[in-house]
Amino acid sequence: MSATIGPARNRVDGRLKVTGGAKYSVEFEVPKCAHGWTVESNIAKGKITAIDTKPAEAAPGVLAVLTHLNTPKFKPVPKKEGATGIRNEERFPLNDDEVHYAGQYVALVVAETIEQARHAASLIRVSYAPEEPLLSMEAAGDKAKKPKANNNENVQVNKGDAETALKDGSLVGIEQTYLTPTETHNPIEMSGTIAVWEGDQKLTLYDATQFVKGVQNILAQAFGLPTENVRIICPFVGGAFGCKGAVWMHVFLAAAGAKAAGVPVKVHVTRRNMFVASGHRTPTRQTLSLAATRDGKLQAIRHVSETLTSTVGKFTESCGARSTGLMYESPAIRVEETVYPVNVATPTFMRAPGECPGTYALECAMDELADALKMDPVALRLANHADNHPTKNVPFSAKHLKEAYQLGAGKFGWAKRNREPRSMRDGDLLVGWGMATATYPAHKRSAAARVQLRANGTATVQCATHDLGTGAYTAFTQISSEQLGLQFENITFELGKSDFPFGPVAGGSNSTGTVGTAIHEVAGLLHKALAELAVKDSKSPLFNLKTDDIAMVAPGRIGLKTDSAKSDAYADILKRASKDSIDVQSEMKPPEENKKQAFQSWGAHFCEVKIDPLLPRVQVTRVVSVMNCGRVVSAKTARSQIIGGVVMGIGMALTEETAYDPFTGLPVTRNLADYHVPTNADVPEIDVAFVGEPDFAFNPIGARGMGEIGITGIAAAIANAVYHATGKRVRDLPITPDKLI
Amino acid sequence: MVPFMSEISLTVNGTKRTVKVDDDMPLVWVLRDTLALTGTKFGCGMGVCGSCTILEKGKAIRSCQISASQAKGRDFMTIEGLSKDASHPCQRAWLEEDVAQCGFCQPGMILTACGLLREHPDPTDAEIDAAMSDSVCRCGTYPRMRKAIRLAATALRTQKKP
Repeated sequence: MSATIGPARNRVDGRLKVTGGAKYSVEFEVPKCAHGWTVESNIAKGKITAIDTKPAEAAPGVLAVLTHLNTPKFKPVPKKEGATGIRNEERFPLNDDEVHYAGQYVALVVAETIEQARHAASLIRVSYAPEEPLLSMEAAGDKAKKPKANNNENVQVNKGDAETALKDGSLVGIEQTYLTPTETHNPIEMSGTIAVWEGDQKLTLYDATQFVKGVQNILAQAFGLPTENVRIICPFVGGAFGCKGAVWMHVFLAAAGAKAAGVPVKVHVTRRNMFVASGHRTPTRQTLSLAATRDGKLQAIRHVSETLTSTVGKFTESCGARSTGLMYESPAIRVEETVYPVNVATPTFMRAPGECPGTYALECAMDELADALKMDPVALRLANHADNHPTKNVPFSAKHLKEAYQLGAGKFGWAKRNREPRSMRDGDLLVGWGMATATYPAHKRSAAARVQLRANGTATVQCATHDLGTGAYTAFTQISSEQLGLQFENITFELGKSDFPFGPVAGGSNSTGTVGTAIHEVAGLLHKALAELAVKDSKSPLFNLKTDDIAMVAPGRIGLKTDSAKSDAYADILKRASKDSIDVQSEMKPPEENKKQAFQSWGAHFCEVKIDPLLPRVQVTRVVSVMNCGRVVSAKTARSQIIGGVVMGIGMALTEETAYDPFTGLPVTRNLADYHVPTNADVPEIDVAFVGEPDFAFNPIGARGMGEIGITGIAAAIANAVYHATGKRVRDLPITPDKLI
Repeated sequence: MVPFMSEISLTVNGTKRTVKVDDDMPLVWVLRDTLALTGTKFGCGMGVCGSCTILEKGKAIRSCQISASQAKGRDFMTIEGLSKDASHPCQRAWLEEDVAQCGFCQPGMILTACGLLREHPDPTDAEIDAAMSDSVCRCGTYPRMRKAIRLAATALRTQKKP
């Protein structure tokens, strides 16, 4: 295997990012660009009865005021099999008088400057006929739904007889309920869109998105345009974590506003509105019931998960199926999922949707069981390790979780842990050590890629994929280098444009494997195209050979598979054919399904907390995270991804909560002063290591992706460490000092 | 209130610039929208995230907390002025440690680090924590940032020796 994949490369876009040269979506300079400012509903449910826009229309600089009374109807976007694009909120803005949640956009002002737009928006008066909103699980009880499947995957699991085992008095059992609050992604780049029309048939959007092809398809349909008439441009994303995967209302508003005003329009979502209008992670209530023999063999696990969604979307966070449904071997596994539609803005995927809160609850429950059994938490997990998928009964491919426990425990010094809570001290500080398992599935989707190879040995590779800060530019340059057989420095990888061949949403940790596979395929096509030139060329050592017998035999050379001495250099083939360059493009095809194995990534987090007993603020002082994600394509960016997940998990465990007013349903934490994301002093050194080998049974690159797995399990590891330090179980996140006093 | 426009002169990255903007427009918008210096980022608008950080006389300040009228006659440096070729020791250290992920907060972080290293050429861990902890990176680049700051500190001290 070539050494182009794996080694630590500094990211290829690093220089742009330390000089201010990386252009994010709303930073593109568009001549005559006007600004849009939104007006939001202050009721959670009801109807708009009147809306007075006259003072706003008369205000200086105002070019257009859009409300439901004058906004043209968007065309329906039917859900078609194989159709591209995600709409978590399944409605259009300003197309009717209904209010479904507080903070819903009810008007858009377009003006020459942002101050003028904002000022005019403040002059708009909206009258409502409010109705009683449903704002909690209790209030929405009658409307509760039990979805059968999420993304074609069964979410109500029933294996064996959990109920009987859970009542068996000879077993050791625990039952506890765990709560997680609403969490908000809060990438530092807020969502935003610049919409530019050329006439009324061509639309360009500079949009902060995880899915350029999805935005293209949905906007084309909503405005009744041919797909190719809509272009989406997004070379850099300033963080996303899920909140830029779907097309949210501001994107439609920017395009409609630009059409109405007759000039380009920028709608930059405010930080305040990022808490409402670009999704959030739903709060969860999860009840875990476990029963095990005295030597720690699980006999039953029941995971009852309750979450919220909005009344205008169907997004669900499948906590149980994505953790308990596959984590441990047990003769009885029961997962129940209930979703309550409420008058709160629509939730969406946030880093490891389902797995993240699901592993928090399950891995805390496992710690409680270990405690009840007086057993070491790692030993309990090893005793219940699942070689096979517990409900699909097929073996996991390249799992290596036992190695992750072993290496992590060794690095951390876990053997020195005294199992008794409150037994470890550092001076006056209480010390706690906790651990948990991490897991995330390996997803694959379809993609295509295009390559131009030039006679001077350089190449450009293109795919409509995305770099959210993940390191995609770098990882795909590395994969291209290996697959094409060209020097890393000679490859330019381009992404973030809908003009390029199809790339799927950059979500679900699927990009590396999916786009990597497309690069693998296009490399094969390139080698074939070169072979076709060579076999017709009497001066080539490959003259008159069969193209099927030819493949890449060394970097920059194709040759006979059975005798690599017979070979020809790319550059020579092109020069003799009088070609400056050669272009090939792969076709999209459905990903190959392998149902004989289950594909899932695994890992283990070990962490230490220190807590002052007088003012019990939890400080995470050490983390060791060992992951198995198949092949590590790009060592530095991979490590950074896991660290990033752990840091966000520290926030989840200790500080992050979007709080809502129980009467209006409006978030009361709507800025970064009230919503506490971890900063420098909250984050210790994080020791990341990888185990395992490339998972070539999964895809030709062997990579299973690593954007999400880092955040799974870490909140449980911290909560378990807090228990170990203090003897107190806090079962509702975040673990703030008041809950420990 | 109807916005009030004024002509305001200020120095940015060594060049005197005159802009016609709303008096109350935050400096971050003057830099980004009027002067097209988009390396300075907008992240919160209330001085808590640090992504709009710029330098004034070597001190790190938040450009969302200064109105255009307050910026009159003052002299600022943005990330574009630190160096265009990433040759400043802080930028070099940032590249060496491969700090950036999405990169959005990083210009503010680098300039915050510049401000710290001016005051504390050999900062302790506590000084790094104190200076950097009012700035938010959602990708979680903090451990690499700390390493980069130590690396830059060494480079700057060596550079200053005759």
